[in-house]
Amino acid sequence: MDTTLLQQMLLGALLGISVYLPLRCGQLSLATPGFYAIGGTVAALLSTRIPALGGDGVSYPISSVLLEMALAAMVTGILALGIGKVVLRLRGIYLAISTIALVEILRVVSLNLSFTGGAIGIFGIPQPFASPEGYVGFTSLLLAVVCWLCDRLERTRPGLAMAAIREDELAAASQGINTANTKLLAFVLSALVAGVTGVIAAHFLNSWNARMGNFDASITTLAFVVFGGTRTWLGPVIGGLVLTALPELLRPVGDLRLIVYGLVILMGPVLFPQGVITPERLSRWSRMLRQRLRLEAPTP
Amino acid sequence: MSTPLLAAHNLNRQFGGLMAVNDVSLRVHQGEILGLLGPNGAGKTTLFNLISGVTPVSTGRIEWRGVPITGMASHAVAGLGIARTFQNLRLFPTLSCLDNVMVGLHRHARQKRLAALFQTRPFHQKQAKLHQEALALLELFGIADAAHRPANSLSYGDRRRLEMARALANRPELLLLDEPAAGMNPHEKDQLCELIRQIQAQFQLTVLIIEHHVPLMMQLCDRLVVLNFGKTIAEGPPEQIAKDPAVIEAYLGGAG
Ligand SMILES: Nc1ncnc2c1ncn2[C@@H]1O[C@H](COP(=O)(O)OP(=O)(O)OP(=O)(O)O)[C@@H](O)[C@H]1O
Ligand SMILES: [Mg+2]
Repeated sequence: MDTTLLQQMLLGALLGISVYLPLRCGQLSLATPGFYAIGGTVAALLSTRIPALGGDGVSYPISSVLLEMALAAMVTGILALGIGKVVLRLRGIYLAISTIALVEILRVVSLNLSFTGGAIGIFGIPQPFASPEGYVGFTSLLLAVVCWLCDRLERTRPGLAMAAIREDELAAASQGINTANTKLLAFVLSALVAGVTGVIAAHFLNSWNARMGNFDASITTLAFVVFGGTRTWLGPVIGGLVLTALPELLRPVGDLRLIVYGLVILMGPVLFPQGVITPERLSRWSRMLRQRLRLEAPTP
Repeated sequence: MSTPLLAAHNLNRQFGGLMAVNDVSLRVHQGEILGLLGPNGAGKTTLFNLISGVTPVSTGRIEWRGVPITGMASHAVAGLGIARTFQNLRLFPTLSCLDNVMVGLHRHARQKRLAALFQTRPFHQKQAKLHQEALALLELFGIADAAHRPANSLSYGDRRRLEMARALANRPELLLLDEPAAGMNPHEKDQLCELIRQIQAQFQLTVLIIEHHVPLMMQLCDRLVVLNFGKTIAEGPPEQIAKDPAVIEAYLGGAG
């Protein structure tokens, strides 16, 4: 498979997780592209404006990328904390609309600031890896860490509290769950993942501009989760991988990409109300797989 | 008399022009089973909502062990040791019955972050203990078989039992039950009555219960409070309530 496509798929999986986290507690936030754009801008600015980060000048040091990621996480985390406190008071479609507005505001602001390069953006972002393989390795590692953290989250108290809020917020509060804080936690984690993903994307794409986080991206990333499901982190990962690959594989038919996304958003909830990947389906598949393996194993 | 566990002073709650709860004062003493009776729309559920912080009070005061708690958020009220069930059932429908009860254990399930992240032995030990506690509660209500089935696959009666199990998982001191026997047949109602008595003794609970089935309330409760049109119309031991003219009027007269 084309390594560039593979890299895009990995980035898609990370963004899928970012959209998934608030949705796990029933909060439809479409702010992911906004935080993704901020992460990318942080990386673009630091790596092109601060010569000290460049190291010996041969290839851009990975330690500098890690530093950018830490900074991007800090910026997006603090921003999400402030914004989340306000917008998470809204529910359902109102939250969705206000987060779309947030993404648009960020886009217009970055379009009109001089230090972000305005409409042209920032070019010549240095490369820490000589080949796409390097990016794939690094991003796979990040995805693995994020998946592991999500898995731990889901198997512990805050993860269950999030699911309870999704199912019935009032009943969850009556069990002693601080619902406002729990939703805020999910929102901030979502922003962190998006911000860190933006850092890698900026280096990988070599340039960064205001179009990186827009309404289209909100819908695309939402489709990852609608397709994959909101019940386990594996859903948005599969959704991000598959739906990023699909349009590239369908490239011969051009703009069909948008139609595919439209169909997924339309048909997904009808055919698979909880997404394709649910814990129940996973355990059924693994049972089937185990049976199959047992059948194929040579009898002693 | 000693400080009541829970006291409400002149509570009022309006919905538009309707006084759903009208100047109600109430004392719940430690260890008692207090019954709340009244015709439909009398304001019983609204009173529960005020106590549990689900609905803000219009005016009035609520005290827990003599300390004012009026206006507290419902998660903080739960933190005091006040648990409740809902008349119209509010389970977590697609979570398993076990997870429903595990959510009930939320306040007691806190673990060290690093231990949770790296799944240390103490983490697993505590987690196993919590699972056992949740399973024991399901067992108590006779629904342990359904532990791994989603809550919305249960029968109506079993859902009510699951809600009680979840409320008990809060390890409450005061348990508010809103029509726990609704939709059960007479035999099940008797069983439930027994069960409430049993858990009250076993967990040293104070119980405030709403139930329309008068014989059950007569049998179960130490004291009864009767509401009508948002106001308290009678209060006292069951035998006295049974022959109270205002109560008979409320049930048999115009409103009943
Ligand atoms: N959220 C609300 N908004 C408007 N009116 C309400 C609300 N909640 C309750 N009411 C009204 O307040 C009154 C009291 O309702 P409540 O549910 O407390 O009665 P109840 O005694 O529990 O009755 P039932 O036995 O039928 O459960 C009713 O007239 C009801 O319509
Ligand atoms: Mg009621």
